[in-house]
Amino acid sequence: MRRDFHLPLLLVFALAFVASANQYQLYLITLAALTVVVGVGLNVLIGLSGQVSLGHVGFYAIGAYVSAILTTTYHWNFWLALPVAALLSGAIGSLLGLIALRVSGPYLAMVTIAFAFIVEYGAIEWKGLTGGANGVMNIPPISVAGWDWSQRALAVSAVSVAAFALLGYRRFAASGWGLALRAVRDAEIPAAALGFNPLAARTLAFTVSAVLAGIAGAFFAPLTEFIAPSSFSMFQSILFVLVVMIGGAEHTYGPVIGAAIVIALPEWLSGLAEYRVLFFGALLLVVLWIAPGGVAGLAARMTKRRKSETIPAPASGSLAVVNGEALIVRGLGITFGGLRAVDDLGFVAKPGRITSIIGPNGAGKTTAVNLIGGFYPPETGSVSLGGVELAGKPIHFIARAGVARTYQTSQLFGSLTVQQNLLAAMTRGQPGNPLSAAADDNQHAVERAAALAAFAGYTGNMHVTANALSHVDRRLVEIARALAGTPKALLVDEPAAGLAHGDKAKLGALLRRIAESGVVVVLIEHDMSLVMGISNHVVVLDAGRCIAQGPPEAVRRDPSVIKAYLGEGHFQPRPRALGWVAPRDGALTVSALTAGYGGAPVLRGVSLQVNAGELVAMLGANGAGKSTLMRSLSGLLRPVAGEILLLGREVTRFSAHQVAGAGLVLVPEGRQVFSELSVEDNIRLGAHTRKDFQPGEVDAMLKRFPLIERRRTKRAGLLSGGEQQMLAIARGLMAKPKVLLLDEPSLGLAPAIINDLFDVLANLRDEGMTVLLVDQMAALALAIADRAYVLESGDIVAAGSPEAQRGDPALERAYLGET
Amino acid sequence: MLTLAVVSGLGLGAMYGLIALGFYMTYAVSSTVNFAQGASVMLGAVLAFVFSQQLRWGIVPSVVAALATCAVWGVLVERFAVRPFVRAGSNAWLMSTVAIGIVLENVVLFTFGKEPRSFPSPFSGPHVQLGDIDVYPLQAAIPIVGLAVAFGLAVFTRRTRLGRALSAIVQNPAAASLMGINVSIAVTASYAVSTVFAGVAGILIAPLVTVSADLGTLFGIKAFAVAILGGIASARGVVAAGFLYGLTEALVTAFVGSSYTNILTFALVIIALAVRPHGLFGLAAVKRV
Repeated sequence: MRRDFHLPLLLVFALAFVASANQYQLYLITLAALTVVVGVGLNVLIGLSGQVSLGHVGFYAIGAYVSAILTTTYHWNFWLALPVAALLSGAIGSLLGLIALRVSGPYLAMVTIAFAFIVEYGAIEWKGLTGGANGVMNIPPISVAGWDWSQRALAVSAVSVAAFALLGYRRFAASGWGLALRAVRDAEIPAAALGFNPLAARTLAFTVSAVLAGIAGAFFAPLTEFIAPSSFSMFQSILFVLVVMIGGAEHTYGPVIGAAIVIALPEWLSGLAEYRVLFFGALLLVVLWIAPGGVAGLAARMTKRRKSETIPAPASGSLAVVNGEALIVRGLGITFGGLRAVDDLGFVAKPGRITSIIGPNGAGKTTAVNLIGGFYPPETGSVSLGGVELAGKPIHFIARAGVARTYQTSQLFGSLTVQQNLLAAMTRGQPGNPLSAAADDNQHAVERAAALAAFAGYTGNMHVTANALSHVDRRLVEIARALAGTPKALLVDEPAAGLAHGDKAKLGALLRRIAESGVVVVLIEHDMSLVMGISNHVVVLDAGRCIAQGPPEAVRRDPSVIKAYLGEGHFQPRPRALGWVAPRDGALTVSALTAGYGGAPVLRGVSLQVNAGELVAMLGANGAGKSTLMRSLSGLLRPVAGEILLLGREVTRFSAHQVAGAGLVLVPEGRQVFSELSVEDNIRLGAHTRKDFQPGEVDAMLKRFPLIERRRTKRAGLLSGGEQQMLAIARGLMAKPKVLLLDEPSLGLAPAIINDLFDVLANLRDEGMTVLLVDQMAALALAIADRAYVLESGDIVAAGSPEAQRGDPALERAYLGET
Repeated sequence: MLTLAVVSGLGLGAMYGLIALGFYMTYAVSSTVNFAQGASVMLGAVLAFVFSQQLRWGIVPSVVAALATCAVWGVLVERFAVRPFVRAGSNAWLMSTVAIGIVLENVVLFTFGKEPRSFPSPFSGPHVQLGDIDVYPLQAAIPIVGLAVAFGLAVFTRRTRLGRALSAIVQNPAAASLMGINVSIAVTASYAVSTVFAGVAGILIAPLVTVSADLGTLFGIKAFAVAILGGIASARGVVAAGFLYGLTEALVTAFVGSSYTNILTFALVIIALAVRPHGLFGLAAVKRV
């Protein structure tokens, strides 16, 4: 660890002040030191663990009353009463933490407020012990061996305790425990999936903060020589939070700055003493507005120091060879809302090999990974790794048993550096001694982190925070983090999503090298070229069931797999009536549209046109950018560049409700009906923006959809998937759209329903509706489309008539990859 | 004694339920909570006092003007203490609404004055004999108004166009915006409505207690406990929890002693949350990865 001269300097300065201070100044500096002690504790809670308590005055009060009563009524020595105060606060704190920290946000605020009130009213009512509203008077000063200490000695003790608290905070924050708390704060579920127990970590933070508040309270009693319930009001709690916020949460010296401001300012403004509370309320508001990082945060931003740089050595070498054991899945199943999301899934993933799970959107792939990793308890079946049964065990148990994973959208610990992300993962949830040397003091661990990063192909600085990483680097670091705990099995969920072509190839090579070291690799991926290129074994899911498994070449040729991806062929194509003339007037014109979610854009300059009265299909594999296109067109996602014209009017920068109001209406993927509202109300909502809406239109619309008409008063959530889709379309039509966007209407529906659905769409087309249709079922979409585009990796790669598309090998390649 | 406790418990419960419905409104629409609700209760009471007693306006204009000001206050809270933080993806709205509430209470303290003041006593004039106790119109009016507002809210959300839009946002904000519903205006409106509910409660409570700048603090905190116990995302749960809390409080006061009321009820809140972490009537949200 770097030598830190702040603390000794601060201590010397404070002690020098104590030496020269008068009686009143002594009181102030002691009070400030005690406020620092409480602030340091709250900094652990608010800063490191990200939880806000509005009731810490309760612990301060408990500490003060224990010390006052034991020294005054029972004539104990203060130094014996102090540990009792600390222990009692800590015990109550951990109990309260266990209750309060299973939930967070407003619930936690409530429990802590209730606690503070109980302590305050308890102190008023338990008159025999606490003296009631009159409080405890004539609290003796601190003494050692019968000698009374002066106020000066009390100030020295308080300042020393504050210095110890600051020192302890610095070590704790840098230790494995500090990393663990911040990891849980940044991303709770991934932290559990690395073996951390989030409840235990948060309870520890709460307990530490309670102990420190109790200690400060114990000193407060002899300082004022008189305590009463009115000293421990709710406002004092808010003031303690203010101390941390104003100084800057998560900064070691934040509480010092905060305490100085909160104690010293009222002294300078003593003429305005009665406005003190108003002043602090306004100050808190201003701090939150202009300096959410507090004074220390502002200072850090201004004096931006050059951070040290460590670049891992270029990618080389291999992982230590793991003595591999197979991951065996048998009969795995779970039901969500009546739908069998995964049904009777079984496969053996052998060490040293890549086992891929593929399938169309909504097939249940991610659910399968979540079942294996313990994110959902499976209803049926078993998962075992090297003979250890994992099904139904908590996430952190499964992690410690050797299962690691990555996520569809990467979930690094955003405020930690790359190195800290890896160091945290290496502990496998057992961070060791909280006051031991700083985690980055362990040279061996630091070197290993660098080696892992290099192995994963990360070539950037080890000391940048994960939030600042590019999309590719996040993927690589996340894989390195998963490997840091030396897992026996690695589950990788769509690692290639959003990667450029060259990066995908490197990723494939990396996954092969991981497998070769003896790790079981289970890969979920949409990019079929990647899957077919690197897998040893492929498991194909459709609607939750395994429809084929085997070596990639065999699976690639399996007719049932091709059918699952491209759709059934038994829908009767519905060509346009003879004599139909293709329109030429553009209704929706999109030019050079670029959009994404930060990082590399998902859509890269897409241009297309839908003419009035046309039905145009947008085809492409999963992950090609179809849904991103629909989200950008509908205003749910603001495009980075490009132009969207609706009947000549620019709607590019509109927000979603304005786009809908303008007549560009999206029927979203996954239907998104309002499940608690009736079918009729859902349909009425579709007409929300129309001034000319007539109540009779609901009946007319329902007549068009006989499937849902007889369920018109039912809650939409009770409808089957097919019925919900019909409802979503009916709801969209109520807006009298100028252009209707349909996103994956057939997703997750049974084949018979899908045929009905496409009949409905063909009818719409024949009535003259302008439609842009995105659907996985390419064969079906082509059966009703007037024209089609093919989207691949965010670019339009083909356009033309459905007949031409149907025979084009490029289409099958776009869906199933190269062979 | 039991009748008296039940009558006063129902009245208190209706007030808690009404203020808690305000917490429910903003939470359902925007997943944020206005911790300045207690100050809003006080604002309604103080303004009604100033308009009707000091300025000698009639009762109707006083109430209307007080509630309209409450609505404006709600809009200001949303605009300045909630929206900036929600936009930045931070949960600092928790502390900022606490802070803005403190500011309002103190501004009132220095403008309205420190001495508590009283409305003319409501316990005179015509009343109804119920068993061995007298029930005055205001005591009967409080639960009736409370239930009427809750009922009105239910009818509004079920039967009107704007109400349906609100329920749509509660269930799925993104899909609601696809229907052309302006979600950010709806959030502001929910804050205005929630502070008006608090204002109504404040005006009804004012004649029973003394009017002062800290009148709302404890009411706000207890109503928040009620909202949490009711599961915060369920309007019916919140109203039911309000009556439960009010009755518990009145019964503890009557049979255990008033000094233990707050200790016992707050302890029960903690115990209830320990047993049912998502409230007595709430459901756990499904965590997704």
